[in-house]
Amino acid sequence: MRPIIQYFLPISLVLSPFIVSAQEAVLSGIVRDASTGKPLNGAVIITVNDSIGATSDLRGYYHLSLPRGTHRFAISYIGYQQQIATIELLQSHERNFELKPFANRMDEVLVSAKEKGESVDDPHMSTVHLTMKDIKDVPVLFGEKDLLKTIQLLPGVQSGGEGSTNFHVRGSDGGQNLILLDQATVFNASHLFGFFSIFNSDAIKDVQLYKGGIPAQFGGRISSVLDISMLDGNKKQFSGEGGLGIIASRIKLEGPLTQDKSSFLFSARRSYADSFLKLAKSKDMDNNSLYFYDLNAKLSINLGKRTSLYLSGYHGKDNLKYSDLFHIAWGNSTATARLNHQFNDKISSNTSLIYSGFNYQAGVSSQQIDFQVASKIRNAHAKQDFSYYANANNTIRLGLGALAQSIKPANLSSDKIQSVNPTTIENQRGIDLGGYISHEWKPTTDLSLQYGVHVRDFIVLGKRTFYQFDKNGKPVSEKRDNSRIAKHYINLEPRISASLVLNEHSSLKASYNRIVQNLHQLTNTTASLPTDQYVLSSVTIKPQRVDQAVLGYFRTFANKQYDFSVEAYYKRLGNQIDIRNGATLQAKAYFEGELLFGVGRAYGLEGYLRKNSGRLKGWISYTLSKSRRKFSGINGGNWFNARQDRTHDLSVVANYVLSNNWTLSGTFVFNTGNAVTFPSGKYLVNGKSMFYYTERNGYRMPDYHRLDLSATYDPPKTNKRFHSSWTIGIYNAYNRKNAYTIDFRENKTNPNLTEAYKIILFGIVPSVTWNFKF
Amino acid sequence: MNARQYLILSYLLLLISSCEEKIDLDLHKAAARVVIDAQLSDASLVQRIRVSRSVGFNDLVNASGVKDASVSIKDNENRIYSFQYEKDGYYIHHNFKPVAGRTYTLNVTVQKQQYSSSCRMPSYVAVDSTGISEKSLTGKTYFFATLTFKDPAKVANYYCYTVSINGGPFRFTNAQSDQFNDGLKVTHYISDLETDLSPGDEVVVRRYCVDEKAYRYWNEYQNNNLSNAAPSNPKSNISNNALGYFSVASLKEYKLKIGR
Repeated sequence: MRPIIQYFLPISLVLSPFIVSAQEAVLSGIVRDASTGKPLNGAVIITVNDSIGATSDLRGYYHLSLPRGTHRFAISYIGYQQQIATIELLQSHERNFELKPFANRMDEVLVSAKEKGESVDDPHMSTVHLTMKDIKDVPVLFGEKDLLKTIQLLPGVQSGGEGSTNFHVRGSDGGQNLILLDQATVFNASHLFGFFSIFNSDAIKDVQLYKGGIPAQFGGRISSVLDISMLDGNKKQFSGEGGLGIIASRIKLEGPLTQDKSSFLFSARRSYADSFLKLAKSKDMDNNSLYFYDLNAKLSINLGKRTSLYLSGYHGKDNLKYSDLFHIAWGNSTATARLNHQFNDKISSNTSLIYSGFNYQAGVSSQQIDFQVASKIRNAHAKQDFSYYANANNTIRLGLGALAQSIKPANLSSDKIQSVNPTTIENQRGIDLGGYISHEWKPTTDLSLQYGVHVRDFIVLGKRTFYQFDKNGKPVSEKRDNSRIAKHYINLEPRISASLVLNEHSSLKASYNRIVQNLHQLTNTTASLPTDQYVLSSVTIKPQRVDQAVLGYFRTFANKQYDFSVEAYYKRLGNQIDIRNGATLQAKAYFEGELLFGVGRAYGLEGYLRKNSGRLKGWISYTLSKSRRKFSGINGGNWFNARQDRTHDLSVVANYVLSNNWTLSGTFVFNTGNAVTFPSGKYLVNGKSMFYYTERNGYRMPDYHRLDLSATYDPPKTNKRFHSSWTIGIYNAYNRKNAYTIDFRENKTNPNLTEAYKIILFGIVPSVTWNFKF
Repeated sequence: MNARQYLILSYLLLLISSCEEKIDLDLHKAAARVVIDAQLSDASLVQRIRVSRSVGFNDLVNASGVKDASVSIKDNENRIYSFQYEKDGYYIHHNFKPVAGRTYTLNVTVQKQQYSSSCRMPSYVAVDSTGISEKSLTGKTYFFATLTFKDPAKVANYYCYTVSINGGPFRFTNAQSDQFNDGLKVTHYISDLETDLSPGDEVVVRRYCVDEKAYRYWNEYQNNNLSNAAPSNPKSNISNNALGYFSVASLKEYKLKIGR
């Protein structure tokens, strides 16, 4: 008897929140944009008197559990007119809201919209929610709006190099970010060697970046999750949008298929080869091509009052060809089908089937040499997610997923004349099985918790040859595994975050997460190359691992006009992978012997001040951080700075509404240089001056700073349907000669002397974009 | 991988349009280390080995020879060749022509520190034909010396090239392996890394057939140059932390002229 009583009390305490009081009823429904019918994500529905509220989700769906009776509600969302409604709540029922958008930006009023991570009592920390408006207001290179470049202006997020869209979050490597487009994994998120991202801003609804405290439903990459949702088509009216820029042009069409029931969205973007080649001063342009394109499409279908179906896809490609010398092409494709069903006002489910693939081909084709290299990576994912909204203080989420991955490593084939031996490397295949359960709990008015666990079983599939290597990477044994399953890697990933409200303006937040990663990206070059190799965990390669702890303080000022937050994080990275010096991995059966394994540490302090309203809006972000690694076989087995280690990183973004027609934006960035390996001496071998390197990444690149400005002219709105605007921008307005890379050369007159040159990528770059809407 | 190198090359060519500026860097001066530059070949009876020390980045790299080292080579049939100091860090032997198939062991002593290495000399792979090739890139014409040969099948072959232009010193250009074209008819394109070849130039190409360790050394060196995020010292095959390498190679020279 005693043991049962011992457990009964604590169990009943945990279960008691789920017992909905008989005095309460649930109000639920969907909040939409009145003119387009599109659901609003993050709209706030709050009772005027006692400030009990809820936020609408991605589908626009909200639910509130309240005492029976009459209540007055305020429904609001940034950019929309607030609505007040008096509702009699005698029993649980549904009520939808349609909010009218502001016609004129000048009338934007202070809104108490709860943005994830920036609200006082939300346990979600280290999370940033960006709307497309945030992204469209930030001036970037060549006048192209770019969500990947915009997130690099946030604390804890840094770029992989000038112009590059590879990004690092809190000291982690580029391949440790999970980039999702409507739940599909994106493998290479950049065009043209990293100068542009593949995300066409016109087709995106919003973006959520999780830097830490990653909720249990996400997994697969240890550093961050960039969750990008595509826009649903307008269900009420056909419309279009587009623009012509100096590098690329784009168009988007959307509209209803069946009025108020289903809609489509289609967008396309293509670059102009000429303008970029002109930049490269290329004279023989006839047989050359350099272009990229993106296609996005989405269908949203209401299959009934409680069910919707979403089908979305992306396809993009880059193509670079230098006459007969060589060509390279690469691209991502994704397809997602998601069925959302609302069982009742408490339980909802999402069933998703997702495909995503990335491939590249490169080849050299001339009289004497002719070969092609091709590689493919694919995954197919089936997911089932449930969320159970018990009451205002308890939500349970749980789900299961199975992800089948396959990598077809670079294969070498020869065409006309046999100048290379065709090589085929075995495919790597694996299945990532995951299940999670999480509880969002508000035990008291001041404390909010979100805790859960993600259980992962990565199955290394067999029918493959596995090798064992000695410490120099030479293969010593070979084993053909003909079984279906070669190995299991089972891991538990606990996640917890909490927020403690100190007063109505401020709170303390803390979180811990452990995540495991089974798909590894190997890169040792300055820019993110599409030929960077991916490998799966195998008998030799163990899953990468992170333990991250974060502590933060959050505060709002001046009636929520300003948000301020400070976060300190600490990460322990395990089973990190690097490549032996001078190794080539392509088309090599023994590539696993060229890999080195080690550990890492990353820690830092982030500060963020944001002004949300008024004529002047924007933010200041500052990061102080360190990221280091230790590998036996590199740097003599001692700790060394990671290449992305950067001590100070400051970004200032400002957006000023000058008048009804003019808006000005500016961005200023400053950072101390990344860690880099420079020579500490030199010596002569066989007539060649060779550099003597001592510690790895023991030096710093010079400091980097840059100012970007842009101005948008929005002519007064007429009654005509067609509306256009102009944006002019200047990238690097004071023409700072930032070093992209440092090159060491022998002095032309005196080969004994060595000199250092900095290569500058972009000086001042003006741009003009013409945007239209109809 | 060639495609990767071409890829990086094209990417760097795009960068040619951008600017470059000389800068001053404050580089540490590391403690000097012993450098042994020992490339022996069967081209002649005279063999030279250079023993020197590394210098600071801003110093002159030539004047760093070590005077009082003892340098000797022994082969697997117990022949010993002792080298004598010549000048400027060079140690010379006047009557030593290595033979393919023998294993040679190098021993160098500098101030009581011993450095040693060993190498089995590969045999020469004959060249069928040579020529000059032209390639047009971004409006400029580049010239290459070409060597065509049949790579022996089922044997790992490694080739290193040095080039002298118009009587100048011989400098390393590239190292190739037969990893992807074992047993096939192969053409190597050779051009100096720093100076472009122009019409009228007289070019002498030295082709060394080397062993795997020497190839690895030069391969790591050439990978250091191609936009590598983390360059490091090429792995030396000499013990006791020496820089440099030891290689006994088969060698032949080819004289070519770039026609007008």
